[in-house]
Formats: sequence, structure tokens, C-alpha cells
Amino acid sequence: MRYEGEHLLIGQIGHFFALLSLVASITATIAYYKSAQSIDVNRALSWKKMGKISFIIQAISVISIFVILYLIIYNHYFEYKYAHQHSKRSLDVQYLLSCFWEGQEGSFMLWTFWQSMLGLAVMRTAKKWEAPVMTIISLSQIFLASFLLGIYFFDLKVGTSPFVLMRNEFPDAPIFKDPQYLYKYLTDGNGLNILLQNYWMVIHPPVLFLGFASSIVPFSFAVASMWKKEHKDWIKQALPWSLFCGGVLGLGIMMGAAWAYESLTFGGYWAWDPVENASMVPWLLMVAGIHTMLIYKHTGHSLKATYLFIPLSFLLVLYSTFLTRTGVLGDTSVHSFTGEGNSLYWHLLLMITSFTLIPLILYIRRRKGIPVVVKEESMNSREFWMFVGALLFFISALYIIVLTSLPFFNKLFDTQWAIGKDVEYVYNRVMVLVVFVIGLLTAITQYFKYKDTTRKYFWSGLLWPTVISVVLSALITFFGNVDYEKYGAGFLAAIHIAIWAAVYSVIANGGYIFKVLKGNLKAAGASLAHLGFGLMLVGILISSSKKELVSVNTTGISISGLKDVKGMDENPLENVTLIHNVPTRMKNYTVTYEGDSSIEKNDRVFFKIHFKSLDTASGKKPEEFYVHPNAFLVKGDEGMNLSSNPGSKHYLSRDVFVYITSWLNPDSIKDTASFANKWVGKGDTVFYSKGYIVVGNIITANKYDNKDLPVVDSAWLSNLVVYSNDGRSYTSQPGFFVKDNLPSVKLDTVYTQNLVLKINSTKGDLIELGIKESDAVMRYITLKAYQFPYINVLWLGIVIMVIGFMVSMVRRFRV
Amino acid sequence: MKKIHIVILIIVAGAIAGLLTLTGDLTTYDSIESAKRKEGKYVHLIAKLDKSKPIQYDPVKDPNFLSFYAVDSLGSETKVIYRNSKPTELEHSDRIVLKGQMNGEVFECKEILLKCPSKYKDDPNQQLKNISKPAATSQKS
Repeated sequence: MRYEGEHLLIGQIGHFFALLSLVASITATIAYYKSAQSIDVNRALSWKKMGKISFIIQAISVISIFVILYLIIYNHYFEYKYAHQHSKRSLDVQYLLSCFWEGQEGSFMLWTFWQSMLGLAVMRTAKKWEAPVMTIISLSQIFLASFLLGIYFFDLKVGTSPFVLMRNEFPDAPIFKDPQYLYKYLTDGNGLNILLQNYWMVIHPPVLFLGFASSIVPFSFAVASMWKKEHKDWIKQALPWSLFCGGVLGLGIMMGAAWAYESLTFGGYWAWDPVENASMVPWLLMVAGIHTMLIYKHTGHSLKATYLFIPLSFLLVLYSTFLTRTGVLGDTSVHSFTGEGNSLYWHLLLMITSFTLIPLILYIRRRKGIPVVVKEESMNSREFWMFVGALLFFISALYIIVLTSLPFFNKLFDTQWAIGKDVEYVYNRVMVLVVFVIGLLTAITQYFKYKDTTRKYFWSGLLWPTVISVVLSALITFFGNVDYEKYGAGFLAAIHIAIWAAVYSVIANGGYIFKVLKGNLKAAGASLAHLGFGLMLVGILISSSKKELVSVNTTGISISGLKDVKGMDENPLENVTLIHNVPTRMKNYTVTYEGDSSIEKNDRVFFKIHFKSLDTASGKKPEEFYVHPNAFLVKGDEGMNLSSNPGSKHYLSRDVFVYITSWLNPDSIKDTASFANKWVGKGDTVFYSKGYIVVGNIITANKYDNKDLPVVDSAWLSNLVVYSNDGRSYTSQPGFFVKDNLPSVKLDTVYTQNLVLKINSTKGDLIELGIKESDAVMRYITLKAYQFPYINVLWLGIVIMVIGFMVSMVRRFRV
Repeated sequence: MKKIHIVILIIVAGAIAGLLTLTGDLTTYDSIESAKRKEGKYVHLIAKLDKSKPIQYDPVKDPNFLSFYAVDSLGSETKVIYRNSKPTELEHSDRIVLKGQMNGEVFECKEILLKCPSKYKDDPNQQLKNISKPAATSQKS
């Protein structure tokens, strides 16, 4: 059968380049290996040339694959599975890139793309290290290229190609019996996961993967140095690369945090989710490695530790890919990536094993020749405290990765363990102490000199920062209202001393830049990075412990028929229902749901929520603002689904965040209910489906004996009390007016009971009461609202930290 | 012994102490039956939504009260109460992980993780199901 409208050539070209990139990286690996092993200079050179050419060919292939896949997505060739699965015609152009990395294949492609670019850079700069280092990088390219292969070796499928066709993947689907399937059926794709339709998701994955990919460079240098038995010289080149990795990976991780903060609905930037942890652990190791490299460079100590930390950082990148991509984490992570199943599992495991064995075997064979300094580090030396810090990062990384790996251990040992009630606290209570020690170390360590420091020098620099930070953090403690009491006084005290250490770190590093370095920012990379890191810690500690739930449910609607449960106080009810145009009090705001509007193209609804602060005592003008959360309406098998995107109001010192948890689409329901009428008098009782109504006073007034009745001629009002079955009661006052002999009716609605009440007519002491029970009486939304104070301190800290990394990198590259 | 060794020892001891205190926080994945036997103990259940029974959620009455029935792979069933808003994709979920404890006859749930077919875009069975519905796809063009 000939199918109409397919674009097969472009996919075949893509496939060709995928194969070419594999073959070329195999050639590059072999050629570079030969070159590194050759003793004869000419042979080494000619092998090296061949390695160069092969690597350039593979880089071109990778770029071509990249471009071709983008063209397929951009042109909406839905005959390709990747385009059909991840994109959609109505998607804005900027999100087409996000489609790219939504899928497994796209993210491996991003990785191999960056690794190729980094490889090219190393090729140009590594000089005598080129052959051995590029051997390792090319070897890693072989593995990455094989992930995009999608070829069967006997029964074993190796990799997944991004260029497969829908009809080949689903040959049994009936639509492919029709040669015009593309015009009739596959006219649009599945679209991009709504959570990923966010500008952070355009930029976060490329930066994160650049960070991941760059960890191969220090790894390769470490392996090369053991391989070539040149333990000293590699540091000079590997250090700027490590700094590059530390900066970019740190930025990438925190961009992910910013995305989680703005678009996910967990109410925060960090949730100790396995996916987050897995990306942070390689960073911790890389930073530990940077510090031991510096120690080694200046004193000759800590080389063995460097040979542990640097390779481990790259291995943890692989391991974290393994955890998040193979579905091992399945039930524990909110980011549910699912894997390619078994084939990827073994494929990645093979890659991890290979890259573990290479440095391990080399280390064992070379350990005799690794230089060790016998003399002990002095307690008054910079290297001693730097090493303690590096070690602490290493231990923290272990703690985090062991806990994160529980699901994998369960799989290995067939156990059923999981972290219990409070996942975040399990991490936080340890990390708060780590923050204390690390904050302290980053504050004091620069004031030590390498090898030995006199007490006078140390204190002359550090005295004022110490005093200032003690005063500042005391001010925070006494006036900052950091009173996070959920876990008792011990944890609160830990938070406060951690805040002190973090403030200390900021002040001491700032002081170092101005007093010791005399404001020479080019030399201040380390101090800047530490200052930024300290600021980040301050931001994390304060914003997390002062994070406030605004939408505490105080309307007090009780839950009928249930025993009260212990522990309810510590978990306040977080959702508040707002009825259209009914101002509702939340914490120190009056909040009103004023309306909504939808954009048809995206099935997206924007809500207009008005906030007004209750701060009237101070006499200031009350603060008012609007927040516009929005939500996508996703058509599912069983009606509409809501996928919420928070709205926020940013202030310099705090953010107010609102997101919709539930919404009743008023168009979806029709009011079919009608009024049931009944004549009643004072004291009568009328039943409705959820309870009963007692008629109280009936007030009659007319303009002859009541001068306060200017608008109407006569009025009848009835005070009703509605008793619902859940034990609550409401008052209601419907009315009936006559003006110029024309009757008018005042409806009264008991919203929570979906009850509309009116008086139809009157006769003596009796009124005819109209009762309607309807679902359509109201428009309402349910929302959650949070307030995050001082979150900008965190973001500012990250920016400064990354700048610090980059400044150091540039300097180390030159020196 | 070098000073650095002492520091290493202290840090490692701290780490071990940290991990040991964890044991109190560890819990297990359980079936509904075994969770019922451990009433009041915090566990994780892997279950499915029982679609034949009603899901009760009325945000006007109480936006923080959701109740539904869950069935596990062994066939036992429990009523689940979750004092928070209804996860929007609950009805569509394939599988749910419920964290909480049994409280009498009901499972008092603190956290729900949903596994939805829409997230499982890579699941070939789901894909096949999607493309085999020509009406839904072609309507949109």
C-alpha cells in the first residue's frame, strides 16, 4: 500500500546520521586510544588526526540528527511517532523546543549534543592531553549514540530511535489500513504535557544537560592522568572544566527549582523529590572535587580524594539518569518519567559498570605511583578546613543518594521499604546541620592561608565579619519572626544557628572581597561563589521556615459522620472554596473571586482573584492586588480535567501564590431545577433534600407606617433558619415587595446548601415560600494560596554563585 | 592518628547516627489487608481506584474532603479519606500510591501519588488506544 502525504526521506536521513554518529564515535575512540598508546610520535600524530576527523564527523552527525528532529516537530510530520507523541499544531513555537526534550530520545540527544560540543572544545584546548581525554569522551559518545539507535540485535533492542513511524510502531492499528490515514486520522499530535508549557521548561533542560554533560570532562582528565601516570599536570586543565560544570549544573538545577516553584503545584521550589535529589548529588560531588583539586594544586594533599570525587560525580550523573529514566523510582516520584523498560535498564547499567571499572581498575593498578604527602595538614591551614567541607559534601551526597535509592534497593533485595510520613523532614533535619557547618566553613576558610596561618592574620580579617554577622543574625532571630514550630524547639534552634552560619558566610566573603582582595572582582571568583552560596542558604532557610499557607480553611465547615482524627492541627486544611463575588477571609486578606475568562485556542481559563489586606489598624491604605491563576481544561475519557497553573503576585520581599484546585464550569451544568412552592406561616417547618427550614418572623412593612422604606410601597420579609443534616444552620431572608402595584421578588441564596429561597405572594400572616435546590446557583472555585517571603534572596544568591563559578573558571583558564 | 582522621571519624559517626535515626521514619509498602492489621501505622498502599463506587467530593460543602474506594491487586478494598482537594486526574488514574494509615474502617490518606495514562505517553498500549479513536482525533483538524 502507498500511503499519502508521508515524508519518509527526512527520517531516513535522520536514521543514517544516527548510525553514522555511532560508527564515527567508535572510530574516534579507537583512533584516539591508539594515539594515546603510541610511543612513536609520528604514529601518535596520525592516529590523533584520524581521531579528530572521526570526532568532528560524529559531531556533525549529532547536529544533523538534532536539526532533522526539530524539522519533523516544527513541520508537524505526525507520521513520526516522536512528533505525534510530543507535539501538537496549536502549540506556540517556543514550546516546540520543549517537545524536543519531553521524550526519552530527545533528552539523550540533548546530552550527546552537548557532549559533542564539549568534546570539540576539549579537542582544541587540551594539547598533550587530547588523545587520552578524547578517548574517554568518545567512548561515552558511543554509549550515548547507541541510546538513539533503535536496532535489534537478535531479540535485544538497543536504544530507541526518534525517527520511527507511527505505522511501524503500531502495525495493528486499524487506521493504517487507510492510505489516507495522515489526512483523516493523524491530523494532530498528542501535544505537550501542560506542566512543560512554561518558559522555564524551554531553558532548564538545555542548561541542566550542559551541566550533566560537562561532568565527563573532569572525569576524562582524571582517568587520563592515572592512565598516563602524570598526576600533577592535569589539574590545571581539569579545574576550569570542573568550575564550568559546577556553575552550569548548579544553575540548571536551580532553574528546575524555579520551574517547580512557578508551575508545579507542590507549593515550593524543592521537595526532595528523587528527580531533584538525583540531579543535586553529582553537583555536590563536583564541588567537593573542585575543593580537593585546589588543595592538591597548592599543597599536594588530597589527590586520592580527588580521584574519588571527580569520577564519582560523573558516575552519579549516569546513576541519576538510571534512576529517573528507567522507571525504577516509579511509585515515589511526582515527575513520572517512565522508561523504555528493560532494554534501557540494562543498557544504562552496562554504561555505569563500564565507567566504574575504568577508573577503578586504573586506580588499583596505579595506586603505588600516586603521590602522597606524608606531612600532616595543620589545623591552621586552609587545606584542612577545605577538606573537611569537601568531605561533608561527600557524606551529604551519600545520605541523599542512599535515601533516594530506596526504591532501587527494594527492587534489588525484594524488600518493601519507603520513607515514611514526612519525607522532607527526613532530609531537612540532617541538612540543617550540614548547612550550619558548611556556612561556618565557607565563612572562615578563606581567612586561612595554605599550609599555615598566624592567629593574628586570621583574626584581623575575620573579627569584624564575625561581629557583624552575630549582630545581624541576632536581629533576624529576635525580630525576624522565624518561628517554625512544626518540629519543636530543637529544630527551630537548629534553623536559627544555621541562619547565623549562612549570614556569617555572606558577610565574611563580602568582607574578604573588599578588605583582602581590595575589591578586585577578577580574583574574587571563589569569594563570590561562596557569598552567593551563603545568600542562597539564607534565602532557603528563611523562605522555607516562613512559608505561610494563606488559604487556611477557617470557614469551619465540619465533616459529617466522621470521628475527629488526631494530628489534624499540624496539617491544616489547605483549600478554600470561593463563591463568585463573595468576599472571603483568608489569613490577613479578604479574597474575592471576581470572574474568569477563557482562551479558546488552548482550552485555558484565566481566573481573576482580588486580594485586599485587612491591615486597617495601622491606618495605612489597605493593600489591594489581583492574582490571575489559570488552568488548562483537558478533555479526558470521563469529562473535563483541570490542570492548574499558579498565579502569583511578586513583591521584592515576598510572593503570593495562588492556584486553583477545583472549578465548576458553569457552562457544563444547566439549571433544570424548579421552585417548589408552599404556603407557610410563622413557626412552620419545610423539608428539603439536605435538611429543613424553619420559618421565623414575617416582617411586614409599608410606606405609611415605616418611613425608612423609600423605594417600595410595601414589603414582606421572612426570617428563615435553614438547618442542614450535617448539623449546621444558616439564616436567610427572602423578600417580597410591591411598588406601584407591581410585585417584585428578592431571592436569597444559601450557597453552601445550593438552596434558592423566595416569597411568591402573601396572604394575611401566610407567605408562599418558593424553594429551589439547584447545582447551578453558583460559580465557585477552590484554591490554595501560599505566601513565600524573601524568595528573591535565594534567586539572587544563585545568580551570584554562578557568576562566582564563571569568574573563577575564566581566571583558572588563564593562569 | 592524624587530626584529619579524627574529623573523618566524627563525620562518619554523625552520618551513621543520622541514618540510624532514620529507621524510625522508615515505613513499608503494604497491601490493604496488612495495612488493616497495622491500624494506626503509617504505610504506603499501592492500589487502584474502584470506579464502580462513588467518589465523593463537593468543594462547596468542604473543599478539603475527598472520599473514594481503593482496591489493591489482591482484591481487598477500603474506603479512603483524603483531607485535601481532589487530584484532578483521579478518575483517570491507572494506579495510585496512597500514603497514610488505617483509622477504623477507613484509610486516612495524607498524600496521593497518581499514575495516569496521560503521563505514560510512552506506554505503547495507551498509544494504540489513542490512535484507534479516529473520531476524537479527526474532529479537531
